Amino acid sequence: MTPDNPKPIIVARNVSKHFGAFRALNDVSATFNEGQVTAIIGPSGSGKSTFLRTLNRLEAHDSGSIQVDGIELNDNLKNLDAIRREVGMVFQSFNLFSHLPILRNVSLAPIRVRKMKREEAEAKSMALLERVGLKDQAHKYPVQLSGGQQQRVAIARALAMDPKVLLFDEPTSALDPEMVNEVLTVMRELAHTGITMLVVTHEMGFAREVADRLIFFDQGSILEDSAPQTFFTNPEHERAKAFLAQVRHGF
Amino acid sequence: MNWTKQHPAWAMFAAMIGLLVFLWGLAIPLSLAPAPIGPAAQQFAEGARVTVLLTLISGTVGVVLGVLAGLGKLSSFRLIRWVCDFYVWLIRGTPLLLQILFVWLAVPQFLPDSMQLSDFSCAAIALALNIGAYNTECVRAGILAVPQGQVEAARALGLSPFQCFMDIVLPQSMRVALPALANNLASLVKDSSLAYAISVVELTMVGYRVQAESYQPIPVFVTVAVIYLILTTAFTTLTAALETQLDVGRKR
Repeated sequence: MTPDNPKPIIVARNVSKHFGAFRALNDVSATFNEGQVTAIIGPSGSGKSTFLRTLNRLEAHDSGSIQVDGIELNDNLKNLDAIRREVGMVFQSFNLFSHLPILRNVSLAPIRVRKMKREEAEAKSMALLERVGLKDQAHKYPVQLSGGQQQRVAIARALAMDPKVLLFDEPTSALDPEMVNEVLTVMRELAHTGITMLVVTHEMGFAREVADRLIFFDQGSILEDSAPQTFFTNPEHERAKAFLAQVRHGF
Repeated sequence: MNWTKQHPAWAMFAAMIGLLVFLWGLAIPLSLAPAPIGPAAQQFAEGARVTVLLTLISGTVGVVLGVLAGLGKLSSFRLIRWVCDFYVWLIRGTPLLLQILFVWLAVPQFLPDSMQLSDFSCAAIALALNIGAYNTECVRAGILAVPQGQVEAARALGLSPFQCFMDIVLPQSMRVALPALANNLASLVKDSSLAYAISVVELTMVGYRVQAESYQPIPVFVTVAVIYLILTTAFTTLTAALETQLDVGRKR
């Protein structure tokens, strides 16, 4: 899926982050190209989610630099707003706005942030809901939907802003097993559209099948950064081997 | 209360129309009553209007004050937190009657002679400040009850902090805060009677005057009590229906 002339869209250099005395990220550097689908895996507490959350500043990094689409991510609110318009995020616990109907959940940001007309935004939102197979649920409230449906709405909500990059923070970890596939199917289709995706996941099958690139986090650092095939068949580090042995029953 | 749960919009509408009709037409049935009520029907109706007006004005300003101070208590600026804490501490720690008297007697000394307040305004200001302080804690609790993930989702979508507050945090916090705010409003209907101390002719004051002329406290105060009960019932129906409206999409 990677184009012939890769254009970097996210450039992270020497990013570090502490939570008190705990070093969550330790000098992490990585470049992500446009259209690339990257799976980020690793044991819990390894910093993979923290890294993803620094990319749209839900966590502020302590040192190092992050550039998204050429814009420096820092305390400058103008930069931050510009970046958040380009970077969508899908959360582990969906975080749909519980007091708003599904359609309003999807159309709110285009109306407020992109200043789109209401009818236009709603038409677009309906099209997106149709794409994730939930057109007939548009007027329900989040609590009336199953977990898998809520997560598909969350993906539609992120897509409504036409982001260049989509961040997925363990999108299937909070789902009942029988609902994982409906979400992965939507993500699989997305991966083929050329949007840049960074997916923190425990779904090894998905990582292997869909991702162009695989990053293995351990103790706040990137330990391996390779093609999925290479990683799964021939991991370099002992810790990656141990991790794979632990999760191998999953695929 | 079941009916208000099933038809919240109708209940709100009915409560509001009921309240208006009641205020407009109160004098007609009262004028049919025997003395001492009948002859004083217009006074009772006027008193009830003043009570409702005081409640609505100070209640509305009180909610705005409560939201501002509730937000201020959660501010990251220490000075703002300190000011809001002081406000709540001061108001909750002193009697309402003293606050009303203070606004009426002491505040005019700070104001230029050309800018004097009416008795009604003094009562409205004191009541608004008072209920605002109690609302502050309800609003703060409501804001704290909004899950952090809701804010993160809104910010990640590019909503500004202000948009995030108005579209997401405020409506969700109201689901939690509203029962307590409604409680405060019901108290306010009755607390407004303390305005009689600064010669605002509201419902209790009317009752006091009528019984002073007629020497018949029992029918007069029973009438006043019944009018208060009707008013508080209308207000609680209104807030209960509002609560149901805001409760949509919530796990039950």
